[in-house]
Amino acid sequence: MRFVMFITLKGFFRDRLVHGLLISLVFFAAIPSLSNLSMRQVTELSITLSLSMISVLQLVLAVFLGGTSLWKDIERRYAFSLLALPFSRGRYLLGKFLAVALFTLGVAVVLGCVTCAVVTIAAASYPPDRPIVWWNLLLAIGMDACKYILLSSFAFLFATVSSSFFLPVLGTLAVFMVGSASQGALEYLGSSEAATMAPLFKRTVSYLYYLVPNFSAFDLKVNAIYGIPVSGRGMILTLLYFVAYLGAVISLAMLLFSRREMK
Amino acid sequence: MTARLLPSLFLAFFLACALVQIPFARYLKNRPVVEKIGYVPHAELLKMGSADQKQFMAALLVSKVLTYFGGVTQQAERKVVIPMDIRGIHRHLEGALKLDPYNMDSYYFSQALFVWDARNVPLANSLLDYGMKYRTWDWYLPFFAGFNSAYFLKDYRKAADYYRRAGDLSGSDLYQSLAGRYLQASGQTDLAIAYLATMEKGARSSAIKKAFGIRLAAFREVKRIEAALARYRSENGKSPVTVQTLISSGYLAPPPRDPYGGEFYLSPEGTVSTTSKFAFAPKGKKP
Repeated sequence: MRFVMFITLKGFFRDRLVHGLLISLVFFAAIPSLSNLSMRQVTELSITLSLSMISVLQLVLAVFLGGTSLWKDIERRYAFSLLALPFSRGRYLLGKFLAVALFTLGVAVVLGCVTCAVVTIAAASYPPDRPIVWWNLLLAIGMDACKYILLSSFAFLFATVSSSFFLPVLGTLAVFMVGSASQGALEYLGSSEAATMAPLFKRTVSYLYYLVPNFSAFDLKVNAIYGIPVSGRGMILTLLYFVAYLGAVISLAMLLFSRREMK
Repeated sequence: MTARLLPSLFLAFFLACALVQIPFARYLKNRPVVEKIGYVPHAELLKMGSADQKQFMAALLVSKVLTYFGGVTQQAERKVVIPMDIRGIHRHLEGALKLDPYNMDSYYFSQALFVWDARNVPLANSLLDYGMKYRTWDWYLPFFAGFNSAYFLKDYRKAADYYRRAGDLSGSDLYQSLAGRYLQASGQTDLAIAYLATMEKGARSSAIKKAFGIRLAAFREVKRIEAALARYRSENGKSPVTVQTLISSGYLAPPPRDPYGGEFYLSPEGTVSTTSKFAFAPKGKKP
């Protein structure tokens, strides 16, 4: 498994993914200037833009790395030679997934350092009304990475049952949208504005709410931007949810992949 | 298609692009400002569709409003006064605040616009009350709401409450003393000048800074007339009928100038007003 993970990680570097990420640093360099467009919250806007940038990059990584990593190996028949080695298909898939997860974490660490530098520059030009809570900023980046690792697991799940990359890529995007909106949708249905909606529709949505991943708990941007305290209990519950949900999706992916007919 | 044709084809399209570019850029430059505020989806839909980019989307909406406001203000300075799409701005700011209820730019802009230009003080105060639920540390919001309550709504008790809150949050005695002054309902123009000077000093957007600067200049003129009026009353034992009386009798020199293009006058209650109502007049209308 470690061998597959190492080979996959090496492949990411060989595919010049790091070069692509380095180009994104140009956007980060523009953030202190862009933040000056704000009327009253320059530092807050620099944090907003940095965190948004990290989220977008990690979404792209989760969708495309997660969605094409396994599919590419099967399409180019690399998987067949690797699977001839003495380890199970499940371990092979797990190795590939861990490589994506590790790469996502690595990107989060690097971009987190860049964000700290960018925010420091912005804050020096226009000090914020409230001190920056660096711990919240790092926590927001860490939780964001967890969210995209969870999303990658869905990409792997779709890749195990698909012979093209459309399902993994589009399916993962759909899961991302649904997972990001599920909490808001449930809250909306509970409000007076949704009083006229059909009860059957409301019940269906509330059942789906427990089934689809809930990404809103991983979103700590508002805490990082405005220095709002983070609930410790909430974080522990979110991490438990992350481990349980990730375990469920990856084990299902391993199960499906081990039963897949490979031609 | 032969390979020899491809360079010619590319050249033809390239020339076509160059030809279209100039009228296209001119069209965009001269496009009526009113078109630029555009449409914003329903706040709930926006919230769900923004996924994990809510704060970024909110910042985008505010920047769109600011660009639009800057464009309209610029046109007003060129004596082309286009009615501002206040409802459109409200929709954008409401959307921004649904996405990010902590966004200070939205509150600051609402205060700058809804109070003075739209004259919808209850709307501005309802947004500020909404913001106070989230930005519990921020003394600016009760400071704005206190000013609105006293100056526009004449609700001095509420103004005092807001200023007490601003005083508690900022730790400044100034707001506590403002609370006291509001309860007495005195020195309205002085307080307006103090408020506008604070707003102008803190403004980072040039369009907003300019808008506050113009209004501040108008209120300083009002203050000058009030001072002349008080002198006239104490020396003559009666009130003058017009501002012109103050000028001709030497109490007011140089003559006051309303930066909005209006004319100052004395109301039957003896207060100083202006025909412009402290706003640029719509196109084709005299202030």
